[in-house]
Amino acid sequence: MIAYKFKILRLATRDYLHEWPMSVCFVLGLAAVLGPMLVLFGLKFGIVGAMTDRLIEDPANREIRPVGSGRFEQEWLDSVRRKPDVVFLVPRTRSIAATIDLISAKVSRIVPVELIASGQGDPLLEAGAPLPEGFDHVVLSRSSANKLAVSAGDVLDGSLARRFQGELERVHLPLTVVAIAPEGAFGRDGAFVSVRLLEALEDFRDGRAVPELDWSGQPADGRRSYPGFRLYARSIHDVAGLRNAFAAIGVEVHTRAAQIETVQRMDRNLTAIYWAIAAIGLVGFSLSLGASLWANVERKRKQLSILRLVGFRTRDIIWFPMVQSLFTAMLGWALAVGIYYATALVINSMMSDQLEAGQQVCRLLQIHYMIALGLTCSAAVIAAGLAGTRSARIEPSEGLREI
Amino acid sequence: MPWPLQGAKKVQEAVNEPQRTTIYLLHDVIKDRVSKGVGFRLRVPSLRINQGEQIALIGESGSGKSTLLDMLAFVLQPSSAGAFRFRTGEDGNPVDVVDCWLHARQNRLGDLRKRHIGYVMQTGGLLPFLSVRDNIGLSRNVLGMKRDGTVEHLAEMMGIAGHLKKLPADLSTGERQRVAIGRALAHRPAIVIADEPTASLDPFAAEKVMSLFLSVAQEFNSTVILASHAWRNVKELGLRRLFHRTTRSKDSKLTETVISG
Repeated sequence: MIAYKFKILRLATRDYLHEWPMSVCFVLGLAAVLGPMLVLFGLKFGIVGAMTDRLIEDPANREIRPVGSGRFEQEWLDSVRRKPDVVFLVPRTRSIAATIDLISAKVSRIVPVELIASGQGDPLLEAGAPLPEGFDHVVLSRSSANKLAVSAGDVLDGSLARRFQGELERVHLPLTVVAIAPEGAFGRDGAFVSVRLLEALEDFRDGRAVPELDWSGQPADGRRSYPGFRLYARSIHDVAGLRNAFAAIGVEVHTRAAQIETVQRMDRNLTAIYWAIAAIGLVGFSLSLGASLWANVERKRKQLSILRLVGFRTRDIIWFPMVQSLFTAMLGWALAVGIYYATALVINSMMSDQLEAGQQVCRLLQIHYMIALGLTCSAAVIAAGLAGTRSARIEPSEGLREI
Repeated sequence: MPWPLQGAKKVQEAVNEPQRTTIYLLHDVIKDRVSKGVGFRLRVPSLRINQGEQIALIGESGSGKSTLLDMLAFVLQPSSAGAFRFRTGEDGNPVDVVDCWLHARQNRLGDLRKRHIGYVMQTGGLLPFLSVRDNIGLSRNVLGMKRDGTVEHLAEMMGIAGHLKKLPADLSTGERQRVAIGRALAHRPAIVIADEPTASLDPFAAEKVMSLFLSVAQEFNSTVILASHAWRNVKELGLRRLFHRTTRSKDSKLTETVISG
């Protein structure tokens, strides 16, 4: 029985090869429809993918900070930090108190910098890089590092002054540069430091004592509250929800939710347009493939009748057009993938100067090729099966008398 | 030309010989066809064909010859039948062909055809993608028969031994018909059905191919059922002729052909 089926497959193959000009036409016809569809989908996937990546990758899009200054207590901040859609939260001290003057041994000038509260998991800092901890670590922004001409490992002198009990008082503390923040983390002269250091600096400026650093002053009074915080949402999709949650408890926050929504809406619209085009393409593709395969079976009716006459079973005759359709489907798919590769190469190299390394405008995953192959083969099998069944149903004598 | 005369003599003896197995037995078999408002009816009141016979069905084109042949080859379903039995070999039980059609047992009919019947079409009916050798051997191939030189022997007898490797497209019409005849006989079928096998050939070639066909069929012990519109060519070959009569109704709406023998 297997040998018998194999005979049909062999006959179908020989016919396919014998009729190679016709076969080539069918394959070209298929690739001509499938190739551009792959390119279209590759572009959609590549462009929208790159856009979303950029949105997700830029932490600034996930940042939430309160408008103006409020009074936020540690317990409340802790409860916010525990929310599942919050990945990072540190309290901020008053920004007027969050500055320091830096002097490096290499440059003979004072560089005043803004201080940014940081901590474990700060999305602005490189993952895995050393964090600013305690009272003597800083991570410099690019521009301040350039102005001070220092790199990781160098030690700076930080100083700040206060007017306390009528006298100007200046304190110094050594600060080790543990890392330089990535480009774009902070655009101005700045330094990422621990919350504890910021609290100490604020206390000093307020005339309070900082026993850890041997700075004298009045003892601390009661509970500390913070005027603000730096918060990062888990993803860009959580930003709007968090903003609404804050608004509900009367905390007005500044977010990029509006911009995110614009891009998301654009993504949705683009996706809808692409799918509309793809759906039309897919329908056209199925129809053209089905029509050409159907036509092929009609053309082969006499041969199929002859095969039935010499004794092949009706049911098995269907394998003949089926095998040939699968050949067409697979060869057409392979050619379409070739067309796609060549086109994608050209498009990507044309756009390469506008893209970051490794980014592609036109891009498909392995699974997409497999889906395309699966769809093509299914369409081929269905078309050939229907046409084959139809020609198997007519009486063999009818097919024989056709000229 | 010694072949046809020799063949004719043998055929004559075969027909006279008694106690032959009946292969086909038909009673009141009718096939109706309608085309462009005109009805055609083929009626076979009674037909018996014995093993080893060589039978000719002579008539103009459109007289229903092909219709009868197609029914005998199980590729056309009769509209109605009193009886339609088929038997091969002396021990085999008769197969009720009508029953097979009615119960959609076309594979059974296909198997019978594959094993016992060879069919020669009016125009070749060769597969264009197979060589002459593979075209002749196709029926053997389907049956899973071993290569025993039958194909080469047939090609030799049909005078196409030099063309075995060629494709049908490289042959003349006459050569293609010889290949078609070779294919119909290659699996040594009990019956060979030929529908105007020489109609597309010039008279001289037709005569030659026809006599070759009959003598090879004779050598293979195959029963021959042959349709032709030219009695002149087959008269001297000594085939049994079936009678047929075509009548047309007064309004020309129905043409009826009655075949019996």
